[in-house]
Amino acid sequence: MPARRRRLRAGDHVSGWAFVSPVVILIGLFGLVPVIWTFWLSFQETDLTSPGTFVGTAKYSKMVHDPVFWQSARETGLYTLMFVPLTMVLALPIAVLLNQRVRGMLFYRMAVYVPLVTSTVATGIIFSQLANPDFGLINGALSKLGLPQQMFFQSTSEALPSVVAMTVWGWLGFAVIIYLAALQNVPGELMEAAALDGCGRVQAFRHVELPMMAPASGFLLVWLTINAMQLFDEVYVTTKGGPLHATTVLVYYLYTQALVNFDGGYGAALGVVLFLLILVVTLVQLWLGRRTSHYEAK
Amino acid sequence: MKHRRGRIFAAATTGLALAALTACSSGTSSSAGASKITMWHGYTDAEAKEITLLGKQWNAVHPDQQVELIFNGGNDGTLQKTLASFVSGKTPGVAYEYGSSVATLSKRSQTDDVTSLIRGTASFRWDDFFPAVQQAATVGGKVYGVPALVDNLSLVYNKKLFDAAGIPYPTATWTWTDFQNAARKLTDPAKKHYGWAYVNDGTEDTVWRYIALLWQAGGDILTPDNTKAAFDSPAGLQAMQLLHDMSVTDHSVYLDPGDQSYQSLFNGGKIGMLWTGPWDLASFDKVSYGVQILPGKLTHATISGPDNYMLFGKDGQQTGWAFLQWLTSPEVHLQFATATGDLPLRVSETKLPGYQTFLAKYPANKVFMDNLSLNVTKARPNIVQYPKISAAIGVAVQSVLLGKATPQAALDKAGAEVDQILAGN
Amino acid sequence: MTRRPSRLHLILIPLSLVMVAPLIWMVLLSVSTRDEARRFPPGLPSGVDWHNYVTAWTEGPFGTWLVNSAIVSLTCVVTNLVFCSLAGYAFARIPFLGSKVLFIAILATLMVPIQIIMLPMLIMLRQVHLTDTLAALMAPNLATPFGVFLLRQFFTALPRELEDAARIDGASRLRTLRSVLLPLMGPTLATLSVLTFLNVWNDFLWPLVAVQSPQNMTIQLGLQNFQSSHYSQVSVLMAGTVTSQIPVLVMFVLAQRFFVRSIASSGIK
Repeated sequence: MPARRRRLRAGDHVSGWAFVSPVVILIGLFGLVPVIWTFWLSFQETDLTSPGTFVGTAKYSKMVHDPVFWQSARETGLYTLMFVPLTMVLALPIAVLLNQRVRGMLFYRMAVYVPLVTSTVATGIIFSQLANPDFGLINGALSKLGLPQQMFFQSTSEALPSVVAMTVWGWLGFAVIIYLAALQNVPGELMEAAALDGCGRVQAFRHVELPMMAPASGFLLVWLTINAMQLFDEVYVTTKGGPLHATTVLVYYLYTQALVNFDGGYGAALGVVLFLLILVVTLVQLWLGRRTSHYEAK
Repeated sequence: MKHRRGRIFAAATTGLALAALTACSSGTSSSAGASKITMWHGYTDAEAKEITLLGKQWNAVHPDQQVELIFNGGNDGTLQKTLASFVSGKTPGVAYEYGSSVATLSKRSQTDDVTSLIRGTASFRWDDFFPAVQQAATVGGKVYGVPALVDNLSLVYNKKLFDAAGIPYPTATWTWTDFQNAARKLTDPAKKHYGWAYVNDGTEDTVWRYIALLWQAGGDILTPDNTKAAFDSPAGLQAMQLLHDMSVTDHSVYLDPGDQSYQSLFNGGKIGMLWTGPWDLASFDKVSYGVQILPGKLTHATISGPDNYMLFGKDGQQTGWAFLQWLTSPEVHLQFATATGDLPLRVSETKLPGYQTFLAKYPANKVFMDNLSLNVTKARPNIVQYPKISAAIGVAVQSVLLGKATPQAALDKAGAEVDQILAGN
Repeated sequence: MTRRPSRLHLILIPLSLVMVAPLIWMVLLSVSTRDEARRFPPGLPSGVDWHNYVTAWTEGPFGTWLVNSAIVSLTCVVTNLVFCSLAGYAFARIPFLGSKVLFIAILATLMVPIQIIMLPMLIMLRQVHLTDTLAALMAPNLATPFGVFLLRQFFTALPRELEDAARIDGASRLRTLRSVLLPLMGPTLATLSVLTFLNVWNDFLWPLVAVQSPQNMTIQLGLQNFQSSHYSQVSVLMAGTVTSQIPVLVMFVLAQRFFVRSIASSGIK
């Protein structure tokens, strides 16, 4: 039998590699190689068209002394800190609402989900109109209520919160779906038992359902944070990073440096920083998630 | 420089349809004998119709030098798309580019230096172009563009709003004070009426109106040898102060975020005065407006923003050059101007009999034409650092208009930045 | 228990309105006249002005853009289904040399967004003369690490006995995969299809970087390009925006459950 086993294994190696080779080639070529290349590019002075020259860590020291970089890092952080909690805090109660037995629930759900399939470009175009200071629906509503009208995307202090509101609208449906799926996984018996124990509906939610939302929350926290740090489309369509860099987030800055100013090395260096940030945030959150779910298991 | 994106109503952008039909022929193909090039443009409306017409005329009689016109989505994005095409390797033979883009593009190896073509072709008569046009195509003594458009800023005002406010119409001797007072009187927060509008997106569109103010006060952007910032000066401060007073103190300025909403607002009777060029006039179909030269301080200087057709690669030098010589010849360009309302590019166009037809069709353009010879006395510095300098000034103007910085602080910061940029940093 | 309308409607109705309002407003603007779209306070259009759609479609090649998007998205869906199934199966079932390392390497790229790799991608594609083509748009999405991960999870959870019988009968792995396992993979493949499609269809940054010619644009990039030349024609711009969103919106309304289940399963860890 040893001979046969060896033959089989050799066959396994061949078929295994044959099965994975398309994916390995494609992901290697368009996933792994470019990452390494980006690192290499960040040590170069290049306009992306002609071969670059090696400049060591010049691009990184430029970054340290670049006030716009620091501002973009701050705006990205602020955006993430507003966007992620807001989305999650709104999504959970909405998911609970949508989990009730009420007539017409299909329509309510559809209403909450539909922004999800609206593209980021369309979202940006629509919200530019809604938030237009002079003709927009939102200011129209404010003036009906006798409230002062706002500048939204055109004000340095309101632009970033406006981007947050717009993107929360776009992402809420996703977070609700995740929470709703988690809620539907809560065994009915558990809730019934809680009811028998004399728990009110609210108490039952707090003691039975809420703890079981932890994995979904953990996933959302990681997923929304990673996506928040990659914000680009909506900014490109609405504010172009302005006014006065108030919405210049990291990826937008990367784009302008690499593909408007054609400082390819600097763009790559910004990409490396973004990569490391995403890596760190993900690892920290995964680690935290493991710790908290560990406590809850007890 | 002109911003075309707002100027479209029933635009027949035939170029786009053309582009869609002839998919796969982007870039350039030069099969044996016949050479075919692509030319990017951002023309819309009447201009799109006319350029398409001219393109067809040309192609019909030049089977060996075919030009395919491609509408690239608007002139605002052209520089970016051109630079991206250098990266992708699929560069058009010719592209319509803003004057402020020449310096950036002149640094790139793909861009054709057309000095020898222009000087070596006597029939082209380079000296016939208005001086502002020649300057705008020249960087460091070399010519990088074939003139495509010339314009300048004048004061366009809503007559009805002036009548209602009981203010006499602007005159050619108006001062900054007259202008500021009129703007204040025309402003009515309850009705959302503004005296003036200012494009506040921080781009060159923000900067060039400030430059006009700076020149009027007797200042300049850079020192004559282009080595240091010169706008951080008393003249620069006066100009900044006027913007501050009107925007922050009087609240008489509508700040346009760069989506050209000032056009609809002016056309809807919400804005009293604009500083704008001939390209906007066609969109003002609902108001009765007048045109006057800009108000003055020491002078009534205005700024011209000529645009160019720029040539790329070998294709640009051959077929592109042949086509552009024809397109910018006096008779053909006057035909284009008469169809579109663009100003003539050459002095000789104003001597042709058709020029009177042009003026009869666009009476308001008389002010712009006079301005061109009287008040366009200076040009932006066409140096490679200009885009960065413009960005720094843009931030300064923006922060003053928004009340985020005092005029002096904004100037000091921008001045220091520009000095650094010029020092090679 | 007597059933009377739940008080929850009092929350659900305003909530739904807020969520749908932007889209309704988009549709209303798209049938407004130019003046109706630019007035204050804003209001409902007096009639339905379909003309904006005619204008949008004559001024922007929306048809070409929609077809381009469909070609790019559907190609990526097909390649993902095939390649990720093969790889997912191999990683779950075939003990081959280096499988662990390869799988971890592939998983690691899950965390690499296009923003980080787009510059080298651009340089690579130029060297093979593929920039400004539909192929360039497909390249980064032909096989996704998420797809490999999803399919591997699926095969790992599947009882081994299912395929053992076929294997003992001498069927090759490929044959087993095709005739025994494929019929079971329906829901998972559907999920992968929906997510890949949505992802590629709505992608914006990569098309923006990779393509310049209008005839090679996808619908999202085309729409943005259209926006930059139609700022002041709000109604026409909105007609274009509605056009760009209709295909996915219709699919979503028809197959809501299906979409939702797919998206929910992207949350599986």
